[in-house]
Amino acid sequence: MTSARSDMVVIGGGLIGLSCAHAAAQAGLTVTLLEAESCGRFASSASAGGVRSLNRHPAEIPLARAALDLWRRLPELIGDDGGFAPGGQIRVAEDEAGLAALERRQAMVRDLGYDHERLIGPAELKRRLPNLADHCKGALTVEDDGFADPLRCVHAFRRAAKAAGVALHEGCPVTAVERDGGGLRVVTAEGDVSAQFVVNAAGAWGNRLAAAVGEPAPLRPAALQMLVTERLPPFVEGVVGCEGHKLSLKQSQEGSVIIGGGYEGAVDLNQGRTRLSQTNVRENLATAVRLFPVLRNAALVRSWAGIEGMVDDGLPVLGASATTPGLVHAFGFSGHGFALAPLVGRLVADLCLRRPNNVALAPFAIERFAPPAGERTVNSGR
Amino acid sequence: MTEAVDLAVIGAGPAGLAAATTAAAHGLTVLLLDEQAAPGGQVWRQAERILGADPSGLGKIAASYGGAREAVAALRRSALDYRPGATVFDVSPELQVSWLQREAEGGGTRHAIHERAAKGLILATGAMERPLPFPGWTLPGVMGVGALQTALKVGGLRPDSDGLVLAGQGPLLLLYLAQIAALGGRPAAILDLAPPGRMGTALAGLPQALFGDPRTMIRGFGLLLRRALSGARIYRGVTRLSAGGEESLERLSFESGGRTHERACSLLGVHDGVIPSTQMSRLLGLDHRWHAERQCFEPLCDPDGRSSDARVWIAGDGAGVEGADLATLRGTLAALKAAEHLGRLSAAESEAAAAPLRARRARQQQARAFLDRLYAPVPLENHLTDDTPICRCEGVTAAAVRQAVEQGAGGPNRVKTFTRCGMGPCQGRFCGPSLVRLIAAQTGQPPDETGALRIRPPLKPILLGDYLEAEPEP
Repeated sequence: MTSARSDMVVIGGGLIGLSCAHAAAQAGLTVTLLEAESCGRFASSASAGGVRSLNRHPAEIPLARAALDLWRRLPELIGDDGGFAPGGQIRVAEDEAGLAALERRQAMVRDLGYDHERLIGPAELKRRLPNLADHCKGALTVEDDGFADPLRCVHAFRRAAKAAGVALHEGCPVTAVERDGGGLRVVTAEGDVSAQFVVNAAGAWGNRLAAAVGEPAPLRPAALQMLVTERLPPFVEGVVGCEGHKLSLKQSQEGSVIIGGGYEGAVDLNQGRTRLSQTNVRENLATAVRLFPVLRNAALVRSWAGIEGMVDDGLPVLGASATTPGLVHAFGFSGHGFALAPLVGRLVADLCLRRPNNVALAPFAIERFAPPAGERTVNSGR
Repeated sequence: MTEAVDLAVIGAGPAGLAAATTAAAHGLTVLLLDEQAAPGGQVWRQAERILGADPSGLGKIAASYGGAREAVAALRRSALDYRPGATVFDVSPELQVSWLQREAEGGGTRHAIHERAAKGLILATGAMERPLPFPGWTLPGVMGVGALQTALKVGGLRPDSDGLVLAGQGPLLLLYLAQIAALGGRPAAILDLAPPGRMGTALAGLPQALFGDPRTMIRGFGLLLRRALSGARIYRGVTRLSAGGEESLERLSFESGGRTHERACSLLGVHDGVIPSTQMSRLLGLDHRWHAERQCFEPLCDPDGRSSDARVWIAGDGAGVEGADLATLRGTLAALKAAEHLGRLSAAESEAAAAPLRARRARQQQARAFLDRLYAPVPLENHLTDDTPICRCEGVTAAAVRQAVEQGAGGPNRVKTFTRCGMGPCQGRFCGPSLVRLIAAQTGQPPDETGALRIRPPLKPILLGDYLEAEPEP
């Protein structure tokens, strides 16, 4: 790879990076993807796989809704459906206070002009989730949400990217990004790649590059815990969440129940290692069993934690660098980037090629973390 | 928070019993956790019953329980904290041990999760049978010889001689033959899966082996003789073994002597030696290295059993299979060094006791080298077909593994994400060892670089209901 040249270099081979590389290659750019370990090794392969527009931050709602359309068309886009199962997302309220919170949420979303979130009462909830505990009062649902299979998606996007002509280098960490005439040069131990565009899709490690170009984001690494049971007969459809508690629960096509929701373990970013918190495992399981008492007799067979980048305000860093022309950030998806992945690649390609699209990226710009203008003047006053 | 125990010992087989009682005798506080309801591990399973006044007549197999009486008596005399019915499912990097405790309560069993921190740890989790995949190996009626032996020791299960076939090689198979012979049973046929000419290659090491450990060697020849005299039909150099049947095992086919054989069979015992059980040492992230002759990973340990983590020792077959006799010795060695590490023995004191043990072990290991050569693992390709499942839990075939490797999965963890191989309830116990051999053969990469499946808690499946019955240590 010594001294190569591409239109675009993507740093990071998670789902976001693979999607960016795939979309850019399909748009006619030559693309090199550099992955420090193996594709999907961290956040992507540890993802819960939720395809959720329900309960999103208002700024992310248009992205999540636009991404849904791509999830439905995944076979024509990448030659595989990624295991997408549109069984809906349901956020259950266990008490009156929870129900009131869901009602407020629905009103807020309606006021913004969306009608995809719908409140259902106890009777419909019981029909929808016959095995749900009787104490639940109602739920907020999005019927066309669902979930997909993260590993299958990683492999499918990787295959599609390669088929589209992406030069994919795994086990190839990036050591620096330098300015190179009008473009950029990405430095690795195996050689440099010059490019007009560089996409920073380094996930939990994304801030290394952002900080190096003078625009650090308030990003912290997190080990998001996932638990999986043995295979069970079908007992739940769609993805179940719980108002007031961290929970994401679904049953895979194989029958195993996947339980997560954002509980964190310990993380060592330098070693790339994680360690689960048993206290958090127990809390997570307690919520799952409270909602589905049938799970009491299911066996937990495995647990793991991926390494995800969490931004202080819970929104991703997505858009052009404010300091470095040609650099585009796409990291820090804060535990809910999976659903957006098919769309993010297109948004980044559109941005680079100056193609129009109607998704507002301003809320995700890295400038939102820049110190106020006054302070900057003082600092650079010399 | 409860005070940390000096030493946690996991497993109450020969190595664990020796380690725990030795450590306690040197003044360490010891927590001995064992999954079984009674001490003895696999090789001395049900020791107290079988060595005692046993109405079932199983006492006839007591010949293989040498040393068990003393080891169990030492445990019963000791003041250490022995917890039978304890399934360890997690050990943290801080050596916080988590286990599921089963206790009789009223007429039923009570389950609860316990946790306890330890300053030092001795893993005495022993060995497991090497998985040997062949067409039909997942059918009910196909069992490991080790499992058959367990059924014999626990339930007194003497298989019906007409339907029983034993296939494989190795000391455990011969021992099982002798045990059922002592009870008046024998298999209808024995399929020797060792490639021809093995004895020839191994013979060069025979004098050393006889010198190093005459007792084991003489016992071994006795067992071989008994196999010859068992009256069972013996097929040699068997390849292309395949089991068939609708709901369960009904028939076998195989090649031997240049001919294809078919025969009815309702119970097949398979055995291809034993390998260290490395789930816990992998969970702890200890260093391992591939043993080329034994075709398996072993935790990297010094001659006293100390692992790459200075607080952790591995005693017995879990650190490399050397058998029950040496397991006792290795348990003692590890405990002496743990007592030194925890300040109960001076370096001189522990060395004085350890040096003769190490010397005896080195001598006896010469017999092990002979056995390693004689019973080198059956080559996977002798029996494996494309549609043979490698991973029983997820039904992943050899062809699916090969295809994943072709697509760029160069190690077990990549193959796992491509195929789900190793994602089931056994966490790769049954597929991991074959998977590494398959991948290494296909890529030409040494197994040390191929690596092994990452192991995650819980080490054994735990019911969610049990998980929530957490009970802090008093």
